[in-house]
Amino acid sequence: MRLNATNLHAGYGGVPALHGISMEIQSGEIVALVGRNGVGKTTLVKTLMGLLPVTDGELLLDDQPITNWAPSKRVRAGLRATFQEKGLFQELTVGENLRLNGFEPNAQDAVLEQFPKSLSGRQSQRAGTLSGGEQKMLAAACALKTDASLIIMDEPTEGLQPSNVEVLGDHIDNARSAGRGVLLIEQHIALANRLADRFIVVEKGRVVEASPADDPTIQTRIKKRLAI
Amino acid sequence: MEALGIELLNGLGLFATLGIVALGLGIVFGLMGVINLAHGEFVMIGAYVAYLVQDGGLNYWLAIPAAAVVLFFVGSAVEMVLIRRIYQKPELTILATFGLSIVLRQLAEILFSKNSRKVSNPIPGATDVFGITFPTYRLVLIVVATLIVVAVLLLFTKSRFGLTVRAIVANRGLAESSGIRTSVANILAFGIGAAAAGVAGVLVAPLVSVDSQIGLSYLPGAFLVVIVGGFTRLWGVVIGAAIVAAVQTGVTHYVDAVWAQIAALVLAVVMLQLSRSGSREVTI
Ligand SMILES: Nc1ncnc2c1ncn2[C@@H]1O[C@H](COP(=O)(O)OP(=O)(O)OP(=O)(O)O)[C@@H](O)[C@H]1O
Ligand SMILES: [Mg+2]
Repeated sequence: MRLNATNLHAGYGGVPALHGISMEIQSGEIVALVGRNGVGKTTLVKTLMGLLPVTDGELLLDDQPITNWAPSKRVRAGLRATFQEKGLFQELTVGENLRLNGFEPNAQDAVLEQFPKSLSGRQSQRAGTLSGGEQKMLAAACALKTDASLIIMDEPTEGLQPSNVEVLGDHIDNARSAGRGVLLIEQHIALANRLADRFIVVEKGRVVEASPADDPTIQTRIKKRLAI
Repeated sequence: MEALGIELLNGLGLFATLGIVALGLGIVFGLMGVINLAHGEFVMIGAYVAYLVQDGGLNYWLAIPAAAVVLFFVGSAVEMVLIRRIYQKPELTILATFGLSIVLRQLAEILFSKNSRKVSNPIPGATDVFGITFPTYRLVLIVVATLIVVAVLLLFTKSRFGLTVRAIVANRGLAESSGIRTSVANILAFGIGAAAAGVAGVLVAPLVSVDSQIGLSYLPGAFLVVIVGGFTRLWGVVIGAAIVAAVQTGVTHYVDAVWAQIAALVLAVVMLQLSRSGSREVTI
């Protein structure tokens, strides 16, 4: 499966945040998307999922225009996202959150025994009362354990303990091995380096760098762009 | 003692009627934030369905499923044609449903004339309840209405569909992103809310004269119930109906009916003030 964005424009109440982003992601690869705070990464996720309307440009899923599809229709076609914030239904329980993502009660133990392990047997706890890290891990599990072909992850490691960053990295790696594609938005540059097949750098709502990970100059260019 | 017992049963009757009429309002407002001023006319259509069923020589009780089906489709159609495009604009939904209520009343007058119609009582007679004689049909109404309210509430709280609805209420954008077709859930919720109003219309029809104006007499009470019960939980409809029925019956008993209306209004204003702080959060 392949998702193509061409010249994507979007914004909030008439104030543009994306100024013509073009990019693509396909099954079997991990693309790391990096950029400073406020450059439009989360806006891109919302736009790709259909939560924010496109004001100009086009979105194709396997060459089919999906620009005006409802988010649920995209999900049914094989696209998924995890969100930087509020990635779970806070008022609902862990078990109900899993159920809404397609894991019936009898399948939930199997998910939680893999990850996040610390939530095993805690299906009746309200998701809003989980710690920040636990919420992030559960939200990531909800997306990675579905059979979606393409998964967009908006800073999934934000606030995770180092060992959980590695665990999550393994699961993302496994998703690629299983033939699925991941667009990984990440500030954790070490994790991006470990996983990425390609890099995309965004600045002020535009793609300013796009290179395969084995391009010898990409690392210095990223460092310069991110001022690190 | 006997007078008090009768008031108690009257209060229960009011509680059951208010509950079933307010149910649909609560669903539509709680889930979609839509204030449906045509809800009373859904009750009216239900009452006319009861009239038509009886007039056609069929058993009165058939009107309950018939009205539920008819109003489910009416409600779904209203959502798709009228409400769908204006969710984000509450003042437009109020205007649109107000307009709809006028159209539906006019339609009823064209079809059934201004003369009121009579639905005859399917269970005439009275029954002894702990030594108090009370019309049998009203007792049945209390039981049937309560059962329907509880069944619908269980559907919305305990079933898979209910889980989906709660997810939408909690976070519509996240619900869509989990693959839930929120537009379909909207149609179903609107349809079920209207169906409940239709059943309410069937149940009250034998107690009133059926004309185009009957919706108007039920709408204010139903709004009171929703306001008093609070908007955040559907079970609030039951609590709201209980409080409003208790206040109205109590004040009617000890003072008079006019003061009962005033007391209920004061109650609503107080509840609105109290609930101001906990406003609804809308997220994507
Ligand atoms: N709901 C909103 N209303 C108005 N402006 C917004 C809204 N959300 C984001 N913006 C603006 O859009 C721009 C891009 O924000 P976005 O959240 O996409 O950045 P980001 O790259 O994800 O940043 P971060 O690294 O901090 O997560 C910012 O200038 C931000 O202020
Ligand atoms: Mg962001």
